[in-house]
Amino acid sequence: MNKKRNIISAQLQQFSAAALLLLIFKIFFGSPDSFYLRIILDLLTAAAIFFLLLALIRFENSRSSSQLSLVLNVGILLAVMFFIILFSDILLPAVFDNINLKMKNPGLVYTIVAFIYVLILVCFISYYLLTLRHFFFLNQRKNVRVYFNTMLVFFIMASLSVNFLQDESVSFISTTVFVVSVLLMIFNSLRISWIAFLSKKEKLYLLLLSFVITTLFIINIINSSGENFYSQILASFSPSLKHFNQIVMIYGSIYFLVLFFTTLFHLPTAEAFDRKAQEVTSLQYFSKLITEVLDFNDLAETVTDIAQKLSGSQSSWIIWKQGNNFNPIASKNIGFMESEKLTRHILNKISFGKLISTKTFNLGEKSLDGSSENQFSVVSLSPIKARGETHGILVAAKSIGQVFTQDDLNAIETFSDYASVAIENSRLLEESIEKERLEKELDVAREIQRKILPLKVPEYPNLKIASVFIPAFEVGGDYYDFFKINENKLGFVIADVSGKGISAAFIMAEVKGIFESLSKTIEGPKEILIKANDILKETLDSKSFVSAAYGYFDLVEKKLVFSRAGHCPLFLLRGGDSKQIKPSGLGLGLSDTEYFEKTLEEYSIDLKENDTIVLYTDGVTEAKNEKLEDFGDKHFINVLQSNLNLSADELSNKIIKEITVFSSGHEQYDDITLVIFKWQQ
Amino acid sequence: MAEFSTSIKEMGEISVINLKGFLDAHTAPALENNFTQLINDKKYKIVVNFQDLAYISSAGLGVFMAYIENIRDNKGDIKLTNMSDKVFNIFDLLGFPLLYEIYKNEDEALKKFSGS
Repeated sequence: MNKKRNIISAQLQQFSAAALLLLIFKIFFGSPDSFYLRIILDLLTAAAIFFLLLALIRFENSRSSSQLSLVLNVGILLAVMFFIILFSDILLPAVFDNINLKMKNPGLVYTIVAFIYVLILVCFISYYLLTLRHFFFLNQRKNVRVYFNTMLVFFIMASLSVNFLQDESVSFISTTVFVVSVLLMIFNSLRISWIAFLSKKEKLYLLLLSFVITTLFIINIINSSGENFYSQILASFSPSLKHFNQIVMIYGSIYFLVLFFTTLFHLPTAEAFDRKAQEVTSLQYFSKLITEVLDFNDLAETVTDIAQKLSGSQSSWIIWKQGNNFNPIASKNIGFMESEKLTRHILNKISFGKLISTKTFNLGEKSLDGSSENQFSVVSLSPIKARGETHGILVAAKSIGQVFTQDDLNAIETFSDYASVAIENSRLLEESIEKERLEKELDVAREIQRKILPLKVPEYPNLKIASVFIPAFEVGGDYYDFFKINENKLGFVIADVSGKGISAAFIMAEVKGIFESLSKTIEGPKEILIKANDILKETLDSKSFVSAAYGYFDLVEKKLVFSRAGHCPLFLLRGGDSKQIKPSGLGLGLSDTEYFEKTLEEYSIDLKENDTIVLYTDGVTEAKNEKLEDFGDKHFINVLQSNLNLSADELSNKIIKEITVFSSGHEQYDDITLVIFKWQQ
Repeated sequence: MAEFSTSIKEMGEISVINLKGFLDAHTAPALENNFTQLINDKKYKIVVNFQDLAYISSAGLGVFMAYIENIRDNKGDIKLTNMSDKVFNIFDLLGFPLLYEIYKNEDEALKKFSGS
């Protein structure tokens, strides 16, 4: 950037130098008659214009202005020039009395004033020329540079020839050169293509501007050939310059006249072009969006927004399938109630899943009741599909009197394909984020469960204990624990929290805390469970509960005392038989304490040699095979019955093996917990 | 996961919800919606028919607990009917028969409602 600026200022210096030389020349020689001096004068003038043009080109390249603003600049400069010419006719005679005499016999002041006057005009001319060059270069033609420079050469030749070849015998040369110049101008002004990319509004604006500019150019041409001061000052400065000025003006008027008509002829198609342009921009915008928008709702809003613009519709929305419901989402320029009403109306006539491609649908008279502000007559419907399944319908609605053209439908069809891809992407992303979140959550839940469960079982000489815990993928909420109440008493609890995952894990932690503390102060299982229910009824939400069984072994009294709060029954294997023990009791957190207490029983067993007590959670009996059949109570009892003489460890291994064999081929759905006590005196 | 669906039929002022398939933590929200809708419509006399229910998990049981208080406060009730042995066992373990009226068939439950 700085470098560029340096180049520009270097060229401005060169221009200043040339202009200064020109001024000095003027002061000393005035308007010379000598042939050589005139050549020197024109060379200096040409050099000044040349350097100015170079500086302006650099400057123009360094900033990118729109064509319209360039046209406007030309118009403004032309208007300024018009007024300068107008006022110079009034002002100059007032400042210099007898101006005609001054011109023939100029003083220093007049020379300087005239010089500045000419300098300003030179700047204007340079700018016109530059702008015209800029427009010319916009044409994607080959060799634009060659064409333009050739034309410039002819401009210069035409200007000089008027000055130097005034002799009658050679005047045909200057005429020829002039005619060729004009022909080149016309040739170079044809095929203006850049206006095609303007919107209709801009074209109208350009039409007006080019008309004004053409008029101003023509006025200036007339002025410059007339007998006013403007033309006289120029002529007295340098006839070549005056002529060059005229030629540029002619070029300008021709170019802008052609521009005027080109724009005029482009107007009828402007609207169609506008639409195509908008389609292209929308699609570009949208394909960019596909990679950017991660939020489904944002995306849906954008989709309807673009669909509405693209098809020139009044309103737009998406009918989105959620479960078995079809709801309007991302409604644009239409109220929710209204779009819902129309959605029902549409889906009454058209089957959601059967829409294959974009089609129009006449709403008919029925929907045209006067209740709504927007009265729609026709909608276009495009399916939004992913993996062969229709997820939604993109609706665009037009009001009475409007129709969907084939162009509209094509545009919206293409667009809905894009929309399908984008929406599917965002949905997949959301799903994978959700999945990741769930997996993280389950990791935490498993970690909690792992820390809550006892690391090892207590060991006693006459009470052998075995426990197995197999977690399900989605933490099932099983919990068991042992509490050494005193030397002779061992408390135990087995529980299953309703629900799964992290919420179940948190309740498990709470349950552990409750039993851990209650077992230290209260002995009776019934009493402990009542207290536990009391606490859990308060803390659990209404749809959560905990099934639990709590009890203790008295190693001295040889007794097992326990209560069951909604948990799986306990099995007692004794003397070759198995007995299911199921005292009454509600799950914890299901009912108020009064009713809970009333329905809760306590059960006591006097232990005998080789008594085996089996506790389990429903993960055991509800383990499923590939036919989705349960392992079941019967199967469980069978296994117990036929393995009465095994040790606690052997029995638990045997049961787990049976379950594993049974449910191979089906994913384990719930935690499996098994706790076995064997009394051996 | 396994499928679950519900359907509601109106029998006078009593609403009968038919359950079908597998009711667990994942499918429970569908049934919750049914209850919420009925309560919003001030329909507090509800019979739930378990005829076509293949499986219920603890989270499925929780659904019934979540609404019962509100419904009974409004002089309504949830009565359960047509349970398979397997489903009944699960209810029974937790002591649900102590908390809910469970009937062999829908007619009994309907009669009970109109009788009271």
